[in-house]
Amino acid sequence: MRKQTSKKKQGIPRLLEISGKQPKLLLGSILLSVLGTLCQLVPYISVYQIMSELLHCAADGGVPNEALLLRQAAAGLAGMIGGYLLSYAGGMLTHTFAYRVVCGVRLKTAEHIGRLPLGYLNGSSIGRIKQILEGDAEQIEAFLAHQLPDFVSTAVMLVTMFIIMFRYHALLAAVCLFPIIAGFVCQFAVLIKVMKSGGVQKNFDALERISASSLQYVNGMPSIKIFGQTVRSFRSFYDDIIRYRDFTGGMTEMIRPGFVGFRMFVLSVAAFLVSAGLLLYLKDPGSISFVITFIFFLILGPAVTAPTLKLRNFSENMNVITEGVNRLDAVLNEEAIPEPLRRAAVCNHDITFEHVAFSYDGKQETLHDVSFTAEQGRVTALVGPSGAGKSTIAELIPRFYDVTGGAIRIGGTDIRDFSVDDLMEQLAFVFQESFLFADTVYQNIAPGKSDVAREDVIAAAKAAQCHDFIMQLPQGYDTKLGEGGVYLSGGEKQRISIARAILKNAPILILDEASAYADAENEYALQQALAALAKDKTVIMIAHRLTTIQNADQILVIENGTVSECGTHEQLLGMNGKYAEMWQAMSASSDWRLAK
Amino acid sequence: MFRALFHDITCNEPKKLIRPAVWNTLASIANLMPFGCLAYIVKQIYTHIQDGTPDRGGLWLAFGLMVLFTAATYFLENIACKVTYHDGFFASAEGRIRLAEHIRKLPLGILTGKSSGEIGNTMMNDFSRTETAMTHILPQIISGFLVAVIASAVMLIADWRMGLACFAGFPLSVIIMLGMKRMETRMAQRLNASATAQSAGLIEYLTGMKTIKAYHMQGENFGKLRQVCTAHRDNCIRSEGCIGSMNLLAAMLLRCGLPLMMAVGVHLLTGGSLQITTFAMFLLLGTRIFDPLAVAIMNWSELNMCAAAGQRITKLLDAPVMEGGEDAPEQHDFTVENVHFGYGDTEVLKGVSAAFPSGTMTALVGPSGSGKSTMLKLLARFYDPASGTVRMGGRNVRDIEPEKLMQNISFVFQDVYLFQDTVAGNIGYGKENATRAEIEQAAKAANCYDFIMEMPDGFDSMIGEGGCTLSGGEKQRISIARAMLKNAPVLLLDEATASLDPENEAQIQQAINRLAEGKTVIVIAHKLKTVAEADQILVFDHGRITESGKHDGLLAQNGLYARLWNIQNQSGTWKIHS
Repeated sequence: MRKQTSKKKQGIPRLLEISGKQPKLLLGSILLSVLGTLCQLVPYISVYQIMSELLHCAADGGVPNEALLLRQAAAGLAGMIGGYLLSYAGGMLTHTFAYRVVCGVRLKTAEHIGRLPLGYLNGSSIGRIKQILEGDAEQIEAFLAHQLPDFVSTAVMLVTMFIIMFRYHALLAAVCLFPIIAGFVCQFAVLIKVMKSGGVQKNFDALERISASSLQYVNGMPSIKIFGQTVRSFRSFYDDIIRYRDFTGGMTEMIRPGFVGFRMFVLSVAAFLVSAGLLLYLKDPGSISFVITFIFFLILGPAVTAPTLKLRNFSENMNVITEGVNRLDAVLNEEAIPEPLRRAAVCNHDITFEHVAFSYDGKQETLHDVSFTAEQGRVTALVGPSGAGKSTIAELIPRFYDVTGGAIRIGGTDIRDFSVDDLMEQLAFVFQESFLFADTVYQNIAPGKSDVAREDVIAAAKAAQCHDFIMQLPQGYDTKLGEGGVYLSGGEKQRISIARAILKNAPILILDEASAYADAENEYALQQALAALAKDKTVIMIAHRLTTIQNADQILVIENGTVSECGTHEQLLGMNGKYAEMWQAMSASSDWRLAK
Repeated sequence: MFRALFHDITCNEPKKLIRPAVWNTLASIANLMPFGCLAYIVKQIYTHIQDGTPDRGGLWLAFGLMVLFTAATYFLENIACKVTYHDGFFASAEGRIRLAEHIRKLPLGILTGKSSGEIGNTMMNDFSRTETAMTHILPQIISGFLVAVIASAVMLIADWRMGLACFAGFPLSVIIMLGMKRMETRMAQRLNASATAQSAGLIEYLTGMKTIKAYHMQGENFGKLRQVCTAHRDNCIRSEGCIGSMNLLAAMLLRCGLPLMMAVGVHLLTGGSLQITTFAMFLLLGTRIFDPLAVAIMNWSELNMCAAAGQRITKLLDAPVMEGGEDAPEQHDFTVENVHFGYGDTEVLKGVSAAFPSGTMTALVGPSGSGKSTMLKLLARFYDPASGTVRMGGRNVRDIEPEKLMQNISFVFQDVYLFQDTVAGNIGYGKENATRAEIEQAAKAANCYDFIMEMPDGFDSMIGEGGCTLSGGEKQRISIARAMLKNAPVLLLDEATASLDPENEAQIQQAINRLAEGKTVIVIAHKLKTVAEADQILVFDHGRITESGKHDGLLAQNGLYARLWNIQNQSGTWKIHS
């Protein structure tokens, strides 16, 4: 449905649709710009009036009417000032409108991304999306604010000028029109060539690629340093830069003949006019009325040049805007995680996987036929080789992705029947990689909550073993983290994210390698805190160190995307299968020492 | 002032401007000449009307010149276009590469002080801006002003009173424009600040999505994003309004020349000191003469914005690179003497001294945040210490050429960063021109061969977007394979086995043992058991080394190490119970 409606509109109408802004402001501003442009014709008319008065005087040796001439000068001044003021007012309106539209589009797209499955976001797509939301959106702004009003007012001006000219002297007007048309023919020939070559999309693609690879280059700097990479050997970035250079260079070569030809024709309006005018004039040198007409054309004719040159920008940028909007649409058309219409009630927090299958890319199945129940009040542990699908199982529960087969239920209700808010309300999560916001420690422990008592935050921090190091930070809990603030070590970050989960105190707790980075001294206390937190909750934990989960109520061994064994530690050891094998391997590696 | 401007826009290579500026000016002059002819024709016609006989030859000659100059314009514009665009694109590509190369040589501290959004912005948008300035704006301004100077000179010679009237507004608009510079610089800074905030907001929103979702704070965080976006929007509108009004004033003053010239002409004409023919010529020229200048004025503020972009680039380029030009010594032992170091205001290392003898293994242990990772980063010279020295083979690492130092070091990081490349490409970063056989061997040694072969395209599978998702342990093993391939004499391991499953851990540890043989190994480990047999164990606490020695000796000291050891043996059998 959505895709169909969006197919209909393209370019500016689609842009207005996305941003949800009314084009009233735009229409008003275009009106002002048109009036302003017409006012700018007034000085030309004044010059013409004066010159024709002068010509009459020259012909009959009379004295020019001083009052009339001064009135003309005043009219020229007024027209010029009025024109500028109107254009300024129009310009401000369009800029206001354009920035609002772009900001609206930016936020709307960002909001939409928030509803997409997480798989949509990864290292390189982030760079790409950033380029769309910043770079491409900026071009849209420039187009809306400059090119569009320019186009309309220039078009109106040109049409007005030509109507006047044709009424004066059709032949001379036609002579003026000829180079303009010839110029546009050059221009369109090039434009068609560019469109055929797919140049506009390629340009956008190239920019997106540089954006993504420069982000990678900066973020991967430690690895780049240690492996002695130079820009040249860090191929993707270097290649992207060079490719962009060569591409833009090639495009310019393609555009140049038409571009310069266009300019030449448009700039030579005066020459065309003079050739025809001189012929007519010399046929009958005594005709004052023709000379006046000729003078009129000599003033107005070349004035066509400047606005026509502006028109070219428009036709060029029209493509750019359409492509920019298409790119935004590509993001907006990504299928959001569907939300149910009815709200489901929850009675308990048992989690049930029923024959769950999942694939990241629709080709290779990461999970197949995963079935188990994690009961409330019990600890379910997932163990198995890395890459077996443990983290994927955990990430399906908060619907970071939707299952491709089977179902996941909480308290008997399919999680797809919960609203995202209701689902998230039930979950607390500690991820393998902890993410901290560029905000204070306090805000990082209590993100998005303004109604939390400070004591609770501190209690959570204490339980997560981070109170002590927080108190050593320059401003304690009010220390800003991240950019422009304090940087924390990996273990410290993870403990903050554990404090966050403790504070949330949701009925379901999912721990993905929660204590991997904890150091020895903290680990024990941390585990005690988690154990206290786990009381009466549904706990799903992923662990590499089997000793940490050997007392779990239920241990699931995940192998090659499915549950291969299930039971308590003793039962599993008795089965003498994969778990027993892992247990032995671990005992061996615990005895192992990094030694010479 | 102009010098600085030219330097900023060309990123300190103002010579690059000469070619485009010369050709554009020539083109502009050629473009103006037909109007001189036109003025001459009009003057002739007015003269004929007065005395009756047209000078046919003169008129057609003027027309011939017009055609000639138009053709010359075409020719010159063609060259100007070719030169400016070509030079502009090459300059920004070169600039991007130069900056990227420079960034690589900076201490990492400069990068961590900035957001990746900020540097990305400079890399992309600022270069685009200077490119536009070089290809479009500056040539237009230069030629616009030169044309104005030439035209005003000609007009002043023709009739100084009319010429003066015509360009009366010009000095005023120049004053306004120059006066604007400060305001524009301030505006540009403010705009850049809000643009950077918007960038950082977007990146945080996108990279933190998992957490944002899990704490269902889309609203809250989105609110933050909305705030920075609208703040930027309002800044843009405000700056547009201020700068626009100044531009308007300058252009208006300039164009006042035409009405003023009309009035002065009328006055002189009735006074009898101006001929009708001259007046007519001036009037005709007056309709055209301001166009290039008005374009130049409108472009001026944009030029200043671009100059601010150029300034940001040069500022990054001016950041001093890590110095040192000597070769790396043959020995690979490290000594650290009284090293202090901090990120910003918080001191992380507070006077650390230690020796890491060649061919031995040293373990760094201690609570997280105690400075262990920072110590490793100083050894690899990601940063230089605030005071104290780090030596390799007796030579201060500051004196060694950073790249040569790096050639001797392999580093396995706590947080693995894989590039968007194939698996083979990612491992291949370890060694220039590594053969496929070498890469596969390294993969086998790092115990990742099997899972790589299970991927759809094996070693040619893409990692990253549109590619395969790897688990934390798999990523870690690829990074170990990379280090295997590099096979450098110094090996730094930062929690290399933290996210490995037990089965792999045993194999990885064996691989690391193989890799470590005969090398200077410095390892950070939380699991004390794994490093109990190290030649030397350094216990870090709050940025200092509080204990050092071998396992048995440290246990006997009954200090922090002994305490950690005991706790760990307890928590090893931790019970999570409902």
